[in-house]
Amino acid sequence: MIKRSFLGVKKPVLKYDFVESEGKEPEQLPRPSSVVLLLDEPLDSTRINLVKTGDQVRENEKIYLYKNSREYVISPIQGEITSIESYPGEFGDIGTYLVVEKSDHERSGDTKTDVVESLAGPSLDTAEKYLKTLPGAPPFDVLAEKGSDIHTIVITGFDPDLMATTRRYFLSNLKEELKEGIRVLKDLTHVPKVAVTVPETVEDRPGFEGMQLMIISGAYPEALPLMIMKNHLNITVPPGKSCVDMGVCFISAEAVIAMARAFRDKTPSFEKVVTVTGKDGSRKTIKAMIGTRISEVFKALNININENDRVIINGPMQGFATFTLSHPVQPSMDSIIVQDVDDIQHISDYPCINCGNCIKICPANIPVNLLVRRLEANMFEDAAEKFDLQSCIECGLCSYVCTARIPLFQYIRLGKHELLQMKAEAETEERNG
Amino acid sequence: MAKRLKLIVSHAPFWHDGGSISKMNLNMILALMPAAIFGIVRFGVPALGVVALGISSAMLFEFLFNLVSRKPVTTGDFDAALIGLLFAMMVPAPTPWWVVVIGTFLAVVIGKQIYGGIGGNPFNPVVLSMAILMVSWPVFFDADAALVNYRFDFKALAPLPALKHQGAGALYHFNAGDLIMGDQIGSIGSIFPLGLLIGGIYLIVRGYIKWEVTVSFIAGLVATAFFFNLANPDSFAGPMIHLFSGYTLLAAFFLVTENSSSPVNFVPMLIYGALGGFLVILIRNVGVYPDGTIFAILLINLLNPLIDTIRPKALGRRVNNA
Repeated sequence: MIKRSFLGVKKPVLKYDFVESEGKEPEQLPRPSSVVLLLDEPLDSTRINLVKTGDQVRENEKIYLYKNSREYVISPIQGEITSIESYPGEFGDIGTYLVVEKSDHERSGDTKTDVVESLAGPSLDTAEKYLKTLPGAPPFDVLAEKGSDIHTIVITGFDPDLMATTRRYFLSNLKEELKEGIRVLKDLTHVPKVAVTVPETVEDRPGFEGMQLMIISGAYPEALPLMIMKNHLNITVPPGKSCVDMGVCFISAEAVIAMARAFRDKTPSFEKVVTVTGKDGSRKTIKAMIGTRISEVFKALNININENDRVIINGPMQGFATFTLSHPVQPSMDSIIVQDVDDIQHISDYPCINCGNCIKICPANIPVNLLVRRLEANMFEDAAEKFDLQSCIECGLCSYVCTARIPLFQYIRLGKHELLQMKAEAETEERNG
Repeated sequence: MAKRLKLIVSHAPFWHDGGSISKMNLNMILALMPAAIFGIVRFGVPALGVVALGISSAMLFEFLFNLVSRKPVTTGDFDAALIGLLFAMMVPAPTPWWVVVIGTFLAVVIGKQIYGGIGGNPFNPVVLSMAILMVSWPVFFDADAALVNYRFDFKALAPLPALKHQGAGALYHFNAGDLIMGDQIGSIGSIFPLGLLIGGIYLIVRGYIKWEVTVSFIAGLVATAFFFNLANPDSFAGPMIHLFSGYTLLAAFFLVTENSSSPVNFVPMLIYGALGGFLVILIRNVGVYPDGTIFAILLINLLNPLIDTIRPKALGRRVNNA
């Protein structure tokens, strides 16, 4: 953790770590004998379910929970579904997890869709149907749905949050494959403009002809999508709008390579590259199968997790803390950080003391000190209209520097969530007359 | 799912720069120490008594208010201790104990807690308390009268009242060098500008106070005093005398920068500070009070919410002129 420096007159800077991954290959983890697959869809007894415990699945088989489901997972191993349970996420979001235990039992009378046969001809439709769960979580649904509105695709060869080197690994070590992937992606989407984010330390930049190179040189949060929109694309994203609304789609370098491989080999890959940081700050890049429990990752790397430690997924600034070591390696998981119980900084229930640290550091010029007073009082609409709630790029720096240790970032996310909720309710009411 | 190990779950970000209110306040107290210790050495045991009583009674009032209002006890953030110390440093050494107790009560309860505690006060608590006391019992705050029983090896005359009553002619007693080194009389903590400078610069370097406010306050004060002096050198003292006498430096580093009652945006901080410096000199030179610092700060506190609306456009917002 980076602490406040003795000299505090300058605002703190969280430098990206530009040290190369030294071309070292990630450590390959063994294939697990059982996998956990997460689906972003709650259990619903009123719908017609397509899978149940005890079902046999084949390798590369696509699994839908219910009829008419849009969310799917692809099983990386052959085996038997041993449990289907709810998985609570953030803000009361409920997902579902499936556990697949490896078995050699062949299933007869096969009728379910197989991914392998469908990958014969590369198309966006196929990609959306079968490749959404590739390592790197490519946003094919966005591309398929809004394909014509997207005018720029940004390939992120640099990890937006700190303590991750996953995307950089693909950019520096698998450049040829990345170029090939970009070619395939261009053919699929016909998007006129492709840009690549590149860390300043990558010397060997040529080779991305016809693409805009976005050099990331400064400190966090420069590599966050909204900062790239502002600094490199000169596009103003109005409050409440997303990058996709403005016609820009971000895809990680890993996803692009995984897609190219899937079309080339006619089979999806499940090898996810993850940067794991231990309690002592030692960093290791691993390659694990999607669905591997993180407890197995820790076992392989000899990291001991004790009671009350914190396991952070996807970065110290924007990520989330998991409550279980059975959390699987997911397509979108770029980093895992383990914090010792003694290293955890606690938040407080103090009010804002108006010290101004957040104002100095906010890259979006939000009056955080005034905003938080509204958010604490549940004045979400006021917060959005007058105090720029929707301009937040969710970098988390305000919480990082807060003297009163207010969970500012969480207040902001809660505020945005509540606004969405209110909007949805208003729409339902309107529809119902 | 496998074994049940309890992990700590919280929300992003998972890092913090390690700063906290208590660390900030302890640093403020540390920065006040050179001036406070100098005052105690100069004025002896009575000064020590006032400082000790100020800090302890302020913390006690905070604790009692926490009990009465059934809120968590907040004395551990040292905010009350800082208020008590600052208050004690602003009164002369022989101040009666009951004035100190009333003062810290006004500062902690009336100045801070009734607005909801730390961060809620529209005025600097210490300054508010001082203003009430100075209006109610002006006699205790006349350093010349209060310190009449002390013997000093320099001209025992408070610079600002002398200036007020005798005009700039009285100034041959003083030179900036002696004033900086503490050869002046006044309140416990304001007579040693060098100590205040060291403490204040320490706080600026550590980033615990808003340097923009301090710098513009001093700039505003020096500029205004300079022009007054330029216009009429017989009645108005030069900027150096104003800078190193009275509450000026205590205010510049520790009072106008008080978080809750000062702005947070860059331009407003500059305006706020400069306006404060301007008002101090205006009251000193034109008003009836020898030292206008207290009322000048109250006035800019009042303007703070208005000034602080000048802020940059947030990301993605366009200028919407009505």
